[in-house]
Amino acid sequence: MYPAGIDVFRNYDSSAVKKASFDHTLMPPCQAACPLHMEIREYVDLIAQGRVMEALQVIRDGNPFPSICAYVCTHPCEEVCRRGQVDKPIAIRALKRFAVEFGGDRMIRPEAETTHEERIAIVGSGPAGLSAAYYLRKLGYPVTIFEACSELGGMLRVGIPKYRLPREILDIEVQRLIQMEIEIRTSTPVISLDLLFKMSYKAVFVTVGAHQGLRLGIEGEESPGVVDGATFLREVNLGLKPSIGERVAVVGGGNAAIDAARTALRLGAREVKILYRRSRGEMPAEPSEVEQAIEEGVEILFLVTPTKIERGDGQLGLTCIRMELGEWDASGRRRPAPIKGSEFQMDFDTLITAIGQSPQIPDDFHLRIGRGSTIRVDPITLTTNREGIFAGGDAVTGPATVVQALATGRQAAFRIDEYLQHRYPLVGKDEREALTGDLLPKTIELIRRLNRIEPPILSPQERAKEFEPVELVYDWESAINEARRCLRCGMGAEILFQDKCATCLTCLRVCPYHVPYLDDSGTIQIPADQCQACGICVAECPAKAIVLRKPQDRRHIDEELNHVLKSAAQSKFKPLIIGFCCQYGLYGTGALASLWRKAKAGIWIAPVLCVAKIETEHILRAFQIGAEGVFIAGCGQEQCAREDTAFWALQRVEKARKILQQIGLEPQRLQAFNLYPSDEDPANALDEFTEQIGELYLASAIKQEVKT
Amino acid sequence: MIVAEQKPLDEIRRMIAPYEKILILGCGTCMTVCGAGGEREVSLLHSALCVAQARDGDGTQSFLEYTVKRQCDFEFLDVLVDRVKEVDAILSLGCGVGVQTIAEHFPDTPVLPGVNTTFMGAAKEWGVWDERCAACGDCRLAETAGICPITRCVKGILNGPCAGSKNGKCEVNKDMDCAWILIYERLERLGQLEKMRRYYPPRNFRTIPRPRRIVSKAAVNLGGNDG
Repeated sequence: MYPAGIDVFRNYDSSAVKKASFDHTLMPPCQAACPLHMEIREYVDLIAQGRVMEALQVIRDGNPFPSICAYVCTHPCEEVCRRGQVDKPIAIRALKRFAVEFGGDRMIRPEAETTHEERIAIVGSGPAGLSAAYYLRKLGYPVTIFEACSELGGMLRVGIPKYRLPREILDIEVQRLIQMEIEIRTSTPVISLDLLFKMSYKAVFVTVGAHQGLRLGIEGEESPGVVDGATFLREVNLGLKPSIGERVAVVGGGNAAIDAARTALRLGAREVKILYRRSRGEMPAEPSEVEQAIEEGVEILFLVTPTKIERGDGQLGLTCIRMELGEWDASGRRRPAPIKGSEFQMDFDTLITAIGQSPQIPDDFHLRIGRGSTIRVDPITLTTNREGIFAGGDAVTGPATVVQALATGRQAAFRIDEYLQHRYPLVGKDEREALTGDLLPKTIELIRRLNRIEPPILSPQERAKEFEPVELVYDWESAINEARRCLRCGMGAEILFQDKCATCLTCLRVCPYHVPYLDDSGTIQIPADQCQACGICVAECPAKAIVLRKPQDRRHIDEELNHVLKSAAQSKFKPLIIGFCCQYGLYGTGALASLWRKAKAGIWIAPVLCVAKIETEHILRAFQIGAEGVFIAGCGQEQCAREDTAFWALQRVEKARKILQQIGLEPQRLQAFNLYPSDEDPANALDEFTEQIGELYLASAIKQEVKT
Repeated sequence: MIVAEQKPLDEIRRMIAPYEKILILGCGTCMTVCGAGGEREVSLLHSALCVAQARDGDGTQSFLEYTVKRQCDFEFLDVLVDRVKEVDAILSLGCGVGVQTIAEHFPDTPVLPGVNTTFMGAAKEWGVWDERCAACGDCRLAETAGICPITRCVKGILNGPCAGSKNGKCEVNKDMDCAWILIYERLERLGQLEKMRRYYPPRNFRTIPRPRRIVSKAAVNLGGNDG
């Protein structure tokens, strides 16, 4: 047979190959919005293919504690997800949770080796501290964590309620840090940083968090029965059961207020009211959390603020005043102003104030303190006014999110490494160009609407009783279908070889989303912010001038064919059948894998990412490497998340069949399965096909013998 | 633009049978646009020939592939000099013009046409091409509302429609529009129906003396006086 002349770029010299192997993908908005810059698009795509373990690998590469983020991340990525312009954003956090659970995150044991001598102290074990410890340990430093509390975790342990983050998840992560030989000193409040340097630590990372509740500043705030949210949550989370009575009021509109209200409900309060001085639109709390709180029976009074607290016979008399929204303020929200004469009275057993928190930095740290009692640092190097002392997390930013803290921790680790190794800080290296621009209305119109699939949650009745996690994890099918909604922003097609483009307008004519256009100078433009990366134009361009931006996408099928060629050469099964199977949806999730194990013929699968990317040439090459039969299996027109993919796949199948016929091969050697929705079971169809190929193979073998 | 279609594989294989090493040469202009001989078709043909050879089990031919920007200008062909030295024949997927330019440029190497150059036309939609011009050298489109009766009328008559026109379709093919009805409708739309009433004398149907040549450069006398 033939030497495998399978090389996509056989026309070009090496410089062109180099150009073609370049990664031209743009950073998608989700990744740009993530403080950790996680490769969200990549792992969502892997989940869509059912490759959960690889997805987890991608997640772990960008996140020290993915299982924690999978539960509590505020997912800024979802806010900017461009799917949201079409229907609803991809459920990125829930997909991460799926990958973490099904990919076996619990089994992963990170290892670390000590390669440096300089010891580093981390003061505070919140997400920022743990993240810094993780990365510093990975960099090879001996690390010690000092924690004032009896257990590690900071806000993760004392601030976030158990129903949002099960403690076993946190314990697993802590356990991992212990396995990485990070020294942990709990119940050890650090009083003086100088002492740490005397204990031979070379650098200190201060992440003491922001645990001090802000005060309302109204009369009667000192009364018993008034407690601040941070203290309340800390007590509950450390296992105490404060008696709160039956009627509880929570003042505030942030996540802490919602957490406190839902926690109070779970402690047995019958009536929980949240008093918030603005309206729902301005509420900083996560909307889904607010939704869930209301479902559980929490009542939210908007545009209300307390003005006075009176303590009388075991209960609190609360004087409140109604507010109205006035002018816009610096935070981009409208400033609430009291309405005169609208005071009213309410009685409660407990009042929880959750209007914000600030850090409490001991004076003996001798750190420069800035606005809101936070530590002042250089935003890039995270250095403080004292040498060798770095700071980050809520202690620097004021109350923020877990993912932001993890990002700061990672940043601190790299800056401390640079400081200790006397290197100039490497800032903003290998930043890719970000994808900007919204989808155009005409593009949105052509994108198929696909409903967002939410992970199942416990019913409000069930969950309000105890501290069990509210949200359950996706099942396999829902996760894959949800992940398939991804628009793969910034991975689309580009005219890589402008000199080869004959401006034949094929791309403009075949694009199901009408993305390519002719500019005023008569050149074809494929705007990256509109392209849906279906790959149809790439396979149709008669000049082969268009490629997908991701190098793996360009070579994928050829590499798989090479792989099949190598493996098939050692196989004793005859006849050889090659199947191009779409990895998204049904065919990717093992349905077909089990089929071909049973088959008698030597069926080899060349996985493809959507049948629209298979070119006629690929089909011919499959025959060239000796296949007796070739089949294409992919989603039908209805199931595919993209438009027209099945149509184009069938176009190419037809073209290949014509060529086969001219060569003298029976066209039925090439089959396409399930490209149209049918009731037929693909398993049966495939069985029939292998039988048919078997017969044809025998027939041609006999013919050969007669000839010789 | 020139439109062509690839020759049947059988014919191509018969043509190349005497040669061992063949360069499959695409053209990056018209043949790319009409999908008959661009880079994609070149590598598709390469693969098809390899499969065919493998099936017969007796092939010893080997192929090179390359696509130039335009085969009909010999300057583009200079990059091929080294490649052509290696091969026994060139299978050109360019139009007839391209094949002849190559033949002139590489006098020692046989050139074989891989496509049938068919007509000058335009794309109706993706994958559908229509003939539009016969290159008669005597354009009358101003009188026929921009619709060429020479090309689009089966009979090529200058004073139509003929009696074979029925419901706007041609008697030769019921799916084909009668060019003269199209001309009438468009003249009506342009308010130029008086052009229909005129009689057009027959064109010069004498055989066009071929090959034609157009010279646009002036004969300039560099010596002496211009006036």
